[in-house]
Amino acid sequence: MRFVVALVAVTATFAAPAAPPGDGADAARAKAIIDKMEDLYRGAASKAQVTMRIETPQYQRTLEMSARSLGTKQSFIRILAPIKDRGIATLKIDKQMWNYFPKINKVIKIPPSMMMGSWMGSDFTNDDLVKETTLTDEYRLHMDETADQYRITLIPKQNTVTVWGKIEYVISKSPLLPVSEGFYDDAGKLVRRLTFEDPKDFSGRLLPSVLEMVPLNKPGHRTLVTYTRLEFNPPDVTEADFTLRHLTSRF
Amino acid sequence: MSLLLRLAFRNILRQRRRSILTALSMIGGYILCAFSFSLVDGSYGNIIRIFTQDRTGHVEIHKGDYIEHPRIYKTIDDRAKVTKVLDADPHVVSYAPRVYAPALAWAGDKNTPVQIIGIDPARERNTSLLARKLTEGSWLTAATAPDGHYHALIGRGVADALKLKPGGHIILISQGADGSVANDIYVVQGIVGTLDSAEKLNVYLPLAAAQSFLTLGNHVHEYAIILNNIHLARSQAAKLQKLLPGLTVSPWQDVEPTFYKTMESDKRGNDVTLGIILFIVFIGVLNTVLMSVLERTREFGVLRAIGSRPITIALLISAETLILAALSIAAGFVLSVPLIAFFTWHGIAMPQPIDLGGVAFSDMQGDFTASVFVRPALILLGYALLVSIPPGIRAARISPAHAMRTF
Repeated sequence: MRFVVALVAVTATFAAPAAPPGDGADAARAKAIIDKMEDLYRGAASKAQVTMRIETPQYQRTLEMSARSLGTKQSFIRILAPIKDRGIATLKIDKQMWNYFPKINKVIKIPPSMMMGSWMGSDFTNDDLVKETTLTDEYRLHMDETADQYRITLIPKQNTVTVWGKIEYVISKSPLLPVSEGFYDDAGKLVRRLTFEDPKDFSGRLLPSVLEMVPLNKPGHRTLVTYTRLEFNPPDVTEADFTLRHLTSRF
Repeated sequence: MSLLLRLAFRNILRQRRRSILTALSMIGGYILCAFSFSLVDGSYGNIIRIFTQDRTGHVEIHKGDYIEHPRIYKTIDDRAKVTKVLDADPHVVSYAPRVYAPALAWAGDKNTPVQIIGIDPARERNTSLLARKLTEGSWLTAATAPDGHYHALIGRGVADALKLKPGGHIILISQGADGSVANDIYVVQGIVGTLDSAEKLNVYLPLAAAQSFLTLGNHVHEYAIILNNIHLARSQAAKLQKLLPGLTVSPWQDVEPTFYKTMESDKRGNDVTLGIILFIVFIGVLNTVLMSVLERTREFGVLRAIGSRPITIALLISAETLILAALSIAAGFVLSVPLIAFFTWHGIAMPQPIDLGGVAFSDMQGDFTASVFVRPALILLGYALLVSIPPGIRAARISPAHAMRTF
């Protein structure tokens, strides 16, 4: 879930340390912008209180959860409500993911084949949670600029195995914040769109507080993630929070 | 007209030996036909009875196109209305609500895909044969076990794959109707069926447990209904459909179209074989009638000469054949009744019982219904009429002058 690490993960998309230079001056500028955004979030530990509303033609469901992250590689989510799902937790370390179900006291590792599967019935996939940091390795960057926005297009490099045919990323210039991300399939069709809305001040930082994911191939479906609280570098987020032991602990 | 019949009768009796021989072939045809219909109807009736009781019931109610495209959220929501309609219907003997969902089952470090079926234990016992297939443990109870978990019945395949015995714990993971991850632990109460039966990978939960597991509220996916007469399935389904707009009421034929169509085509094949056998029988009959016409050329010439119309002569020939056929049918009926009665009420044991969906099917049985006797009779009369037409035309065309010169 891109929402987990707040915007950390989202923008860190472009922030892989080993990101090779793109092609041309535009790409270099794109990288510069991304570096700037990355500086905003790099190394941040975060702790968030999140509401996720899942809407489909058949049902609506609202989850309350707490999420914490350390760097871009470690994140941990625990569902607090509804009561039926309370305690279900997800741990992500680098590219590995585990779900824990307290009712059956079982940790289930998400296999690679399930990475494109939905996370807890939402429109976010498991892959959304783990994939971000490798994007710059696998995509070429191309930037267009308008008066108030940067539009960065990511096209997969040859010989890489990617999920999307193209990603279109829009960033506003002032304030420097993500606006939307469009995901295209191999046929060049827009299949889903992630929109960042309602910027709010969280512990002194202005960040979009609402993320809306709309899968365009599934009419009537959307997932809305709202941050009710977001803290950066809280002292109680430590490495110990991102272990299988903590995943299965009582809380 | 009565003269015609009297003449026809006399003509039959005139050549007794030939009439008897012709009648014998028709009697044979009738018995063969009736016996075959009886066995086909009987064994298929049996298979259908077991099949419908085992799986579908005689009539099923679903939401929308659940049969073709089952989705967890296609549920029957107004259960009170459905039960009210079913309770009021005199033809409905019993009915059972069910919910379905695929799931992953775990026990220890083993797992297997399963099909969850939520059932009402008391109603299911009266509606399907599931309770009779219990091989270990006891029948499902709706109440929770002492440790707070609900009970479950598992198919033999699940038991083998997970090495489970009654009393063991089974973990189920699935997706709820609200998109949530359904997960819970159940206590195995019993094991049903064999490794070959259709329910080998099923896990049966009490309805309320399954509903809460899948976040279905009080909704169900299906009502399976048993009628007091299986032949009413189609008409009853149509009647219930009118009372339950918004839901889909299907007779078992529509629930299991593949099974039904395979069976129907097999029946058709049998009908064709019988048709060919009867055709051969009636070629013999045709020969006899033609012979008798030829033999009586002079007689017909005289009839024409004294003023009989050609149509009367043709009718006379048809009447003779039909009367002979009717007598054969009567004799055939008398002979086939005990035979078919024996097969219907006694049956013959098959050397190897056939396992049909976990229910042993050991006797080959007949069916003793009016249809078994009436259908061959109608077929015989039809054929008799058909084969009497060419000789009739031939006889009607006889010119008196020419005919009276032949001997």
